[in-house]
This record gives sequence, structure tokens and C-alpha cells, in this order.
Amino acid sequence: MGSTQDIRKGAVIKNNNDLYVVVESQHINPGKGSAFVRARMKNLANGKVLENTYKVSETVEVVSVNFQTMQFLYKSGDRFAFMNMSSYEQIEMDGDLIGDDAKYLKEGIECVIGLYEERPVSIQLPKKIQYKVVEAPPAVRGDSASGNVTKEIGLDNGLKIYAPIFIKEGDEVLVNTETGQYSARA
Amino acid sequence: MFDTRIQIIRLIREYFWGCDFKEVTTPATVVCADQEPHLNPIAVSFHDERGAASQFFLQTSPEYAMKKLLGAGYDKIFQICPCWRDYEESGHTHNVEFTMIEWYRRPGDYQEIMTDIEQLFKFVAEKLKIVKLLNCRIVSEWERISIKELWQKHVGVNLDDYLDVEKMSGLVRGLGYQVNADDDFNDLFYKIFLNKIERSLGMEKPVVVFDYPIQMAALARPCAHDARYAERFEVYINGLELANAFGELTDSVAQAKRFEEERQERIRLSKSAIPIDKELISALESIPMAAGIALGVDRMVMVFTEAKNINEVIFGTVKDQIL
Repeated sequence: MGSTQDIRKGAVIKNNNDLYVVVESQHINPGKGSAFVRARMKNLANGKVLENTYKVSETVEVVSVNFQTMQFLYKSGDRFAFMNMSSYEQIEMDGDLIGDDAKYLKEGIECVIGLYEERPVSIQLPKKIQYKVVEAPPAVRGDSASGNVTKEIGLDNGLKIYAPIFIKEGDEVLVNTETGQYSARA
Repeated sequence: MFDTRIQIIRLIREYFWGCDFKEVTTPATVVCADQEPHLNPIAVSFHDERGAASQFFLQTSPEYAMKKLLGAGYDKIFQICPCWRDYEESGHTHNVEFTMIEWYRRPGDYQEIMTDIEQLFKFVAEKLKIVKLLNCRIVSEWERISIKELWQKHVGVNLDDYLDVEKMSGLVRGLGYQVNADDDFNDLFYKIFLNKIERSLGMEKPVVVFDYPIQMAALARPCAHDARYAERFEVYINGLELANAFGELTDSVAQAKRFEEERQERIRLSKSAIPIDKELISALESIPMAAGIALGVDRMVMVFTEAKNINEVIFGTVKDQIL
């Protein structure tokens, strides 16, 4: 048993006898009255997505998941390969379960993978990841005067983000993986 | 994104000044914070030049102060200001520090406020040359639907039959949701509302949801046509709640009673004790009829930029500073 505090991305919960992995959780405070947690979760058996909203402090059946630090190796088709940093064992995970986070992956970064009965079910990325800028159009004079203080840049794993106009090709930048935004120059 | 934010805030000001509203400023730090039992104002201490401390809170909304201005004789006022609510998520649709706009009309009723917000959004949309946000046609005539009609439509029941804790508990249980011993009417209401109704609101055109059960009235007055409901409305666009408004309760005796009940509830929930705002209660005595609204500016920017996370529209967010 657990509480709504345990509903977070990557947790596995039992709902009507089915197991679900939480894909996204969101706090809702209606302004008047108690707070709630809304969870988007994926059925581990059939992949169907369900959305459920719980009052904070309600009991939720949380299944224990074994979290292991793993290094991302490569992508092959829709499968992503990781290496367990303590056992050096290699595993593969469905792109479906990684979802939108896949765009942040780059070779060598360490993630926390949740294993349920040896099967990878969830991924937690580092909050900030460092990338090398491979594409950055030069800033045009007068840009900032017309209100354009950001520009689109390309990073070494193919990700594109908006960054301040002073960023140049070859710079190293930190990206916040929760917001997808430029965070700082490394 | 940030450029659009700057523009929207400028347009809000233009709109209200254009409608003869006066922009007011009230202190962000208050002794008598919002009494609402589930809000958590952030406590701060001030010190005088000799070091003697006074206990203040960062405002969770400028509502009380603005109503005192109505009491002092101002009739159409607005304010854009920062507000703080502790113990909330910083991301998705919440941020501990956020920007609010509130406006009030005296005399005024909540239907005028419904028209104000619709016109404000249409004004901003027109200036930004926006017609549609996702699939929601912002320039269409907005839908206005009562909570009672919504329950009939989405849950298939007449809400009149479920207006007490016991009956609502039965309904919640019947739909397969948990009922806990400490659930009050609000909790039970939201278990159904958040699961069955909210996500589908305002998908094709913005929707104004009005007349909430009296238990959820907060600072709203009872409806003239049915005292089991109160003049409160919320606005939804693409499933996101943007604003909360009241036909204001200006009966000072009734308001004093509600404050006392809320204060007791705060004690029961072991929340920080907040003194009752007696100045507000006496100000209500000189307000004949008024209505007002609180609209989340960050959420408004989210809607106009189709951002998915509030952190995308705030520069240097709380979250970015913590990590």
C-alpha cells in the first residue's frame, strides 16, 4: 500500500487488478478544497493509457519497482539499449515506454531505469543534460531590438531547442529535461 | 514565448484602461491572509529598525485588499500582481509564485464579469491575430453552462439530489471511486468532477461553468433563484481552468460566520492560524452589490502560446532556481 505521494513518473500501481506504470503525474489544486493528483498511466499488459485523479492522502496500491542506474548505449529501431552500471548487464527497453523522453537520450548518459520483475518499465532522466551545439545560426544585428532574444539551435544528439542569441556552434549547453528548455551555458 | 507574455500583459492593461477600470496596487505582504482552509500562505517576518518582528504572509490573492478598496468607494478596479501558494507543485499548471490579475465591479454581477473575461480574451486574440487555440475557437461565442447541467450531461444525474455529503458519498462509491471518512463535500464533488468532467471542458470553444453548490461558495453569494447554489463561475479553455469568479457575498454577518468556520477548519487541519480580517468584514457593509474574478496570467499565456507547462511561460522559474 502507498499514498498519492508515491504517484510519480515511473511508479507502478495496481488499479482494478491491473498493473499500470505512471507516465505522468500532475498536482491539481482546485483553489477551494483539497489537492488532487492526476495520473496518466499505461497498462503494463496491453499498453492502454488510463487517466485517474486521486485526492491527496488517498491510499493507492503501489507495487515495488527496482530502480537501477543504467547507461544509455544506442537505439535500434524502436528499442533502446542500456547497460546496468553495477552488473554490466545489457537490457533493451520499448520506445513506447520511454515516450517523449527519447529525444533527450544521448550515448553515455546515465538514467535511472525502473525494473518490475526484471522488465524495464520506466526511465528517469538526469534533470539537466549537457550537449554540444552543432548548429547555431549567427545572431543578426538588431535581432534583440525587434524582440527576438532567442534562436533555434541544434544539439549533438539531434535535439533542437531555443537558446539565447549569444550561443555559438561548439558551445556546451545544459538543457532542463523537465521543461525541454535551455538552462545554461556549461 | 516570453515575448508573447510581455505582449499579453500589455494588452490586458490596455483592455482594462480602455474600459475605464483603474489599476490599483495593494501590498503583497499581509497580516490577514486568505482564510481558505486548503491554501498555504508563506509566512514572512518583518523587522523594524530595532529588530522587533511582525508576522506577515505573502498574499495568495489580492482579493481581500481589493474588496476593501471597493468599500472605500472605488467602483471598477483591476490589479496584476504576484501571488504565492506554498505546498504546490512547480510545474504543469501550478507554480509556487505566479501572476494573477483580479478585477472587480461595484455595482456589478457575475454575468457582467463573464462578459468581461470573454471580451478580454477576444481583444487579446484579435491583437495577436489568433482565432483558434488547438481546436478551441476562442473567437466563437463562449459557452455558458451551469454545474447542474454539466452533471446531467456527463454523469447523468440531477445534482439537486446529491447536495449533501451522505448522498454524494453514495454517488462517488457507485462510480467506483474511494470515499474516505474525512472527505468533505468539496472532496467528493471533485472526485467526480476531475475524473469525469473537467478534462473535456472548453475543447471546441471556451466554456464558463457557473452556479456551484453553496458548500463551495467561498466568498460568493447564494443564487437568488436557488439558495442551494452560489454565484461562482470558472472558465475553462482546452481543459485548463483559468479563472474563478464570484458574485460577491456582501452580507457582512454571513461572511463573518464563513470566516469563523474556515478558521476552525484550519485549526482542525493543523494549518497556520490566520487572524480574521475584521477590516474586510466592515468594508463589506458599505458595498451594495459587487462581483469580481481572479485570472491566472501565466495560465492565460499558456493558453495563447499552447504551452504544456507553466514553466515554459515564466522566466527563471522557481523550479529552475532550485535545481
